[in-house]
Amino acid sequence: MLEQRIRELLCSARDESRKAGMNVELSLHREQSNLIRLGNSAVALATHEGLTRLDVSVQDGRKVGSFSLTADIVSAEQLREAVGHAAENCKAALPKDYDPIFGVIEEAVDDSTGFDPKLESLSAVDKTALCAKVVGELKPRGHYDFSGSWSTGSTEMYYLTTANDLEAYRRLTDGRFVMVLKEQDKKWELQVELTQKAAGTFTAAEVIARFAALLPVYEQNDGYATTPDRQRVLFGPQAIAQLVSLALWGGFFGRAWEEKRSWTAQNKFGDKVLGDAITIVDDPDSPDVFGMPFDFIGKRRRPFTVVEKGIFKGLIYDSASAARYGKKPTGHDIGTGDFTLAPGDGAPGLEAGRKLAGDALYIPHLHYIHMPDPTKGMFTGSSRFNAMRIKGGEFVAPIFSSRVTDTSPSVFGNVVGMSSRTVSHNESATYGRRTPEAIGVPEWLLCDNVRISDVADSF
Amino acid sequence: MTTEKAATAVREQLERMRSAGCSFADARFYDEDASQRVVLYDGNLESNNRGLERGIGVRVLFQGAWGFAATADLGAIPACFDRALANARAAAGLPGFPRDMGPAQPAKGEYRAPVVKDPFDVPLAEKLAFLTAIDARLKDETVKQRIIHARFQRRRIHYWNTEGTEVSRLVLNTFATMMVMAPDKDGRTQRRSLELFSDGSGTRGWEWLIAPERFAGHAERLKRELSEIIAADPMPPGRRDLIILPGQGFLQVHETIGHALELDRILGYELSFAGGSHVRPEMIGTLRYGSDLLNCRAGVTPNSPGTFGFDDEGTPQRDYYLIKQGILVNVLSSRTDLGEANAKAGRTVVTESGTAARACSFYRTPIDRMTNINIEPGDGGTLDDITAATENGIIVDVPVSWSIGSNREHFHFGTEIAWEVKDGRRTRVFKNPTYQGHTLEFWRSLDKVGDKSTWLLQSVPNCGKGEPNQVMELGHGIPVMRFHDVQCGESEAAQK
Repeated sequence: MLEQRIRELLCSARDESRKAGMNVELSLHREQSNLIRLGNSAVALATHEGLTRLDVSVQDGRKVGSFSLTADIVSAEQLREAVGHAAENCKAALPKDYDPIFGVIEEAVDDSTGFDPKLESLSAVDKTALCAKVVGELKPRGHYDFSGSWSTGSTEMYYLTTANDLEAYRRLTDGRFVMVLKEQDKKWELQVELTQKAAGTFTAAEVIARFAALLPVYEQNDGYATTPDRQRVLFGPQAIAQLVSLALWGGFFGRAWEEKRSWTAQNKFGDKVLGDAITIVDDPDSPDVFGMPFDFIGKRRRPFTVVEKGIFKGLIYDSASAARYGKKPTGHDIGTGDFTLAPGDGAPGLEAGRKLAGDALYIPHLHYIHMPDPTKGMFTGSSRFNAMRIKGGEFVAPIFSSRVTDTSPSVFGNVVGMSSRTVSHNESATYGRRTPEAIGVPEWLLCDNVRISDVADSF
Repeated sequence: MTTEKAATAVREQLERMRSAGCSFADARFYDEDASQRVVLYDGNLESNNRGLERGIGVRVLFQGAWGFAATADLGAIPACFDRALANARAAAGLPGFPRDMGPAQPAKGEYRAPVVKDPFDVPLAEKLAFLTAIDARLKDETVKQRIIHARFQRRRIHYWNTEGTEVSRLVLNTFATMMVMAPDKDGRTQRRSLELFSDGSGTRGWEWLIAPERFAGHAERLKRELSEIIAADPMPPGRRDLIILPGQGFLQVHETIGHALELDRILGYELSFAGGSHVRPEMIGTLRYGSDLLNCRAGVTPNSPGTFGFDDEGTPQRDYYLIKQGILVNVLSSRTDLGEANAKAGRTVVTESGTAARACSFYRTPIDRMTNINIEPGDGGTLDDITAATENGIIVDVPVSWSIGSNREHFHFGTEIAWEVKDGRRTRVFKNPTYQGHTLEFWRSLDKVGDKSTWLLQSVPNCGKGEPNQVMELGHGIPVMRFHDVQCGESEAAQK
């Protein structure tokens, strides 16, 4: 549970607000973040941020106001002021033309199962030592340069509301390791990316082995420029996670659907919207995600299906969208969620994927992806790390930067095969507060008729 | 803790860092980082938030490696310096090209953003009345969704370093956007939007937002153009001359010049996240980036979120060419990487900081960021002159989507609206316009640059970069530009 001193201050602030007849929600976010940044085969920067943030929201009928404070929580007076600022905002607010939803904690939560003190305190010295081993082993093998980052830390989230006396608390650790090997003359880039929930889940030897498995194809073959056309593509974890995110964002958010802005706007629950192979679930119980047990209106988060075997099953409503459109919120007053793409029946391992592919492009990463037309589910992004041409079931050459411009229904409607083994792809961003997020995806996804819209003459 | 006490504590710690063997150390104390965000969605107040952050960020250079630490606990300033030093020592365990600040550049000064009326002194009720009036003007039978977004920032930042630099800044920014949306006959949602803009002069307080010609006065135009878009045909693909208005040109410059010229990207320090650059250090001074008509500056524009007086290394912001008559002559830099750039180029290609070291908050370290990346006006005349000189083209405005190669070598943009140009006249509106190209080929095809009358400063409130991630505010002053023979829509092969 949260540090007792801060907990008591926040509970007192809640109780005081309730006595004053106010409807108040209090959300605390604390992080200890540590990062090293690798550039030009050296640790260019090591950082630490220890931050506490408090969000206060006050609701009075159809009026809502909020205040956010980044500062240590030190006194009852400080909290009174924060509540006062939110109340002032609320007082001056315009009433909505619908009834906003006020947070109620459905069930007390005190969850520290995802917390590993060793990962929280993993030092920059330890991280540097691992990176030094990788660089020391691989750099002499070619004209290589290494860059990357390794972010680790802990997050505490604590939520209270004047609606009842329950408390919701989560403490977890997370890590994201990314290392890029760049060939300085030919300019190709390889990447190893790993997700951590605890310390010691990978070693330098494993990172070296992952790079070593990719190097021969890149070293021994020139870049291949494919032609703009519809092609068979074997996607890897990062690209699959991006495709899932885009399908969700463009198709399964309640507000966009209600406003006819989503690619599912013409569909209703029960319609076939994607291929038979596609099942997407927000599953906080999956081992491949970080699993947020509650959201910030106090809902207990449980598995929530949006697509099952291609059938449209659910729409995601945060409290604002739900209130506006008269729907029930679905536990999504959080960041993205804990989404998973269910595995297929293909053999595990990338080798099985490329054998099944025969002749295809392998695109494990999609860079800078965007949606020119969400109403069609259209996206565009370009290949980046580790992309290769597959011929006769073998990787034969690295490919030049190739742009994929297609639609979610098309890509997920033309699935040829999918690995039966899933992996966790870390989707955490560090804009603002630390928010561990991951998507669970099959390790490979093979699709036909993927549209390659442009090809560069470089990596 | 008062500012004076924080200053005393920081000065003591800087001296301690010097004694500990650090070649450089600095601290940024955010005495106040206030924000306010108001969003009206179909007239409903969906975001009504104020925020306050206060804390200190410390940077230490030890044996050529950087350590950084930040805390909001102002009673723990010595511990924060200790953390930063420990991080720098750890980083020095895997050394590379030693980071070096170059010759000391002590500076003292103050900067205050030009403001007549501080938006934080304007009551919320007055703000809402102003925004609600705009919302009312955006309503009509065609418009299905209306969004108005206003955001205000006020930052009081004090900076100190071991060279004796002491700088104080009051940075104040105002951002606002309005957008209308409606479905077209194919069911696709179309939109038309506007970001608060300026001509680079004036002030950036509440008075800027309420100036009708800069924001509210465009509501009817947006509505009218949205109704034209939803009735329009899709843009037929093909190669044409592309006329870019400043509302789109800012992003073209941002993505394919600005980011590509950040020295940390060029040197590979952003490779694992934001990406690299097609530019290499040895190209500075020789690379033909664009046609002779391309003149691009990192500018000090009075009324812009990219103007801040001193960067986050305490260096006075300066104005300089990045690209002159099409040739790349400089890059966006801080003090840190100049030596490495020159070493990698094999000659001196950069001589002084580009004053682009910027951090988005007290808890993020400065990195190379855009400031005001401006294209100078040319002699191509007005938009009407450029249109009249175009046989077969389109005019495009405001991004809808953007996707750029990891080295900024190629791009794909979608825009809100396009006007067809045939034989020197605007003939009709197209919906769903897109265009794509390869960066150098594209900028080398620049064949018309509009005059000063076409030049506008667009604010960018949300440029993302860095690890840990940072969102930065900046500006782009852009004239109307025409590019010859650009692939608009998908190529024939890609349409299969």
